[in-house]
Amino acid sequence: MKQDPVDILLVEDNALDAELTLRELKKHHLANHLVHLKDGEEALEFLFANGATHSLPKLVLLDIQMPKVSGIEVLEQIRSHELTSTTPVVVLTSSKEDPDIRRCYDLGVNSYIVKPVNFERFTEAIRTLGMYWLLINQPPT
Amino acid sequence: MQTIVDNSAAVIYAKDLRGRYLLVNQLYCELFHHNKEEVLGKTDYDIFSREDADAFRDMDLRVAAGNRTLREEEKVPLDDGMHTYISVKSTLKDATGLPYGVFGISTDITELKAVEETLRKSLQEVSDYKFALDESAIVAITDQKGIITHVNDNFCKISKYSREELIGQDHRLINSGYHPRTTIRDLWVTIAHGKIWRGEVKNRAKDGAYYWVDNTIVPFLKESGKPYQYVAIRADITHRKKVDEEFHKLNEELEERVNLRTVQLESARKEMEAFAYSVSHDLRAPLRGVLGFTTMLEDEYNSQLDSEGQRITSIIKNSTLKMGQLIDDLLAFSRTGKQEITMRAVDTGKMVREIIEELAPGTSHTHQIEWIVHPLPTAHGDNHLIRQVWVNLISTAIKYSGRREPARIEIGHFMHEGQVAFFVRDNGVGFNNKYKDKLFRVFQRLHKAEEFEGTGVGLALVEKIVSKHGGRVWGEGDPGNGARFCFSLPESRYYDEYI
Repeated sequence: MKQDPVDILLVEDNALDAELTLRELKKHHLANHLVHLKDGEEALEFLFANGATHSLPKLVLLDIQMPKVSGIEVLEQIRSHELTSTTPVVVLTSSKEDPDIRRCYDLGVNSYIVKPVNFERFTEAIRTLGMYWLLINQPPT
Repeated sequence: MQTIVDNSAAVIYAKDLRGRYLLVNQLYCELFHHNKEEVLGKTDYDIFSREDADAFRDMDLRVAAGNRTLREEEKVPLDDGMHTYISVKSTLKDATGLPYGVFGISTDITELKAVEETLRKSLQEVSDYKFALDESAIVAITDQKGIITHVNDNFCKISKYSREELIGQDHRLINSGYHPRTTIRDLWVTIAHGKIWRGEVKNRAKDGAYYWVDNTIVPFLKESGKPYQYVAIRADITHRKKVDEEFHKLNEELEERVNLRTVQLESARKEMEAFAYSVSHDLRAPLRGVLGFTTMLEDEYNSQLDSEGQRITSIIKNSTLKMGQLIDDLLAFSRTGKQEITMRAVDTGKMVREIIEELAPGTSHTHQIEWIVHPLPTAHGDNHLIRQVWVNLISTAIKYSGRREPARIEIGHFMHEGQVAFFVRDNGVGFNNKYKDKLFRVFQRLHKAEEFEGTGVGLALVEKIVSKHGGRVWGEGDPGNGARFCFSLPESRYYDEYI
């Protein structure tokens, strides 16, 4: 069975942030195989449902503050499943005050990014991490 | 008969009515160093001093004149000084019953008198002690079973029982029920073993009122070592106990209040943290939207915007950026409040030189600055936070002296009210001293935003950090001539540990 390839799984409930992120990734042709989901529940369904018709993502961009299932729980699930235990996960959050930074690292997050308010820096961060994880980084095969 | 007389322990003698010795016994001769032949026919005036002889003769005459028997003490000179004798004298009568002489038996009671005197003194002393004790203390005596056999007036007064009501009872009569049975048992075990018991006891008077005594119970022991009675000496400590209790109660109340406040403070602190988090998280996200979409507008619809439209989008972006900066500064400010400080020695000179290196060539401050940095003493505080203080003060000086050519910034220290005070002086725009109290308040600014950029948090942060260290911060300005900002830090008692 031929699976649809997925490069990036973006899990982000804030529509504006999602749009800004998508726009920047598209601009640099990093969004050809991108799936955008709006909360943690959808993400778990997407990743772990039986009979999936798509490949595992090369990178998960995960917002922390989401309704229903939080980013932390999604990260926990990703790390505890054998299939996804090595999938690169980058957590995005609005605040460096986040009490969960430490917890994310304990759970084995690959990177933790505070979304800058400044648009130029925000787009730079998105561009950099997209390029790094998709083009530079060598995932386990 | 003569043998008995001679061997008597008393001095025995007989004289005629004119005082001439008719008879003396052996003891008389030994005591006064005469033999019988020398003494007989002589009077007391031949043997004793006139004074002593007068005294003897006086008694002899009273015995003879009344023809009776007298018993009196006499002072007699012996080799080792005056002795006291008890003399019994009676008349010698002829066949018709008429007295012809005086017969006497004198016994040395000097030692007895001494013992008597000692005894009298001891009794006096005991009586004095008892008086003093009765005046000052509450006294009770019980037999070995605890039955009260004696109470003093103080006991009656404090217990409000009469002497008759107390005697024959035991101390259960005034038992307050306050002390556990084990305490009472310990007391009895102690005194029954002949040991002194001391303790504070709460009693109940006849009218139901309670009183406290400091109690000492002394067992009086028989030769066998068993107590035959107990003497209890007590002091009224009701007042002290009351003060103690009140003190204790106040202390407990205070502690309760402190605990309550601590809980309240802790919850306020948690709320504040949650607030700071939500501020940083929830306020920043929409700002990013505003900025992002305004930028998209600029990028993608630039051709459709005239110069006024472009000016407006640029204002939107700048205002939003400023708001972002405000939020970040405010967060830094609130973080400082809850941050634990780690006290270490701070090499002030080195720190200031590093900060000048970092700040001076900054792209936004291209103006020439003449630096005058005096030698600076080691300070004591949290390295990270003290660094923040210097960064803010030096940045402030650079910012407000930006229009001077050359700008001059001087950094040094002096002693101020027992603390080391550091200062940063610039020759910038300065400020009116009238507003110096507003300098360190959050979001307070003395200059228009158009003149000098800033969020109004920098100096407030300085104030917060310095007061957290137990120091003071103040500023002095002279409009047009510059400003001087000072902060003092207490010297640490533990300073040496860190050098």
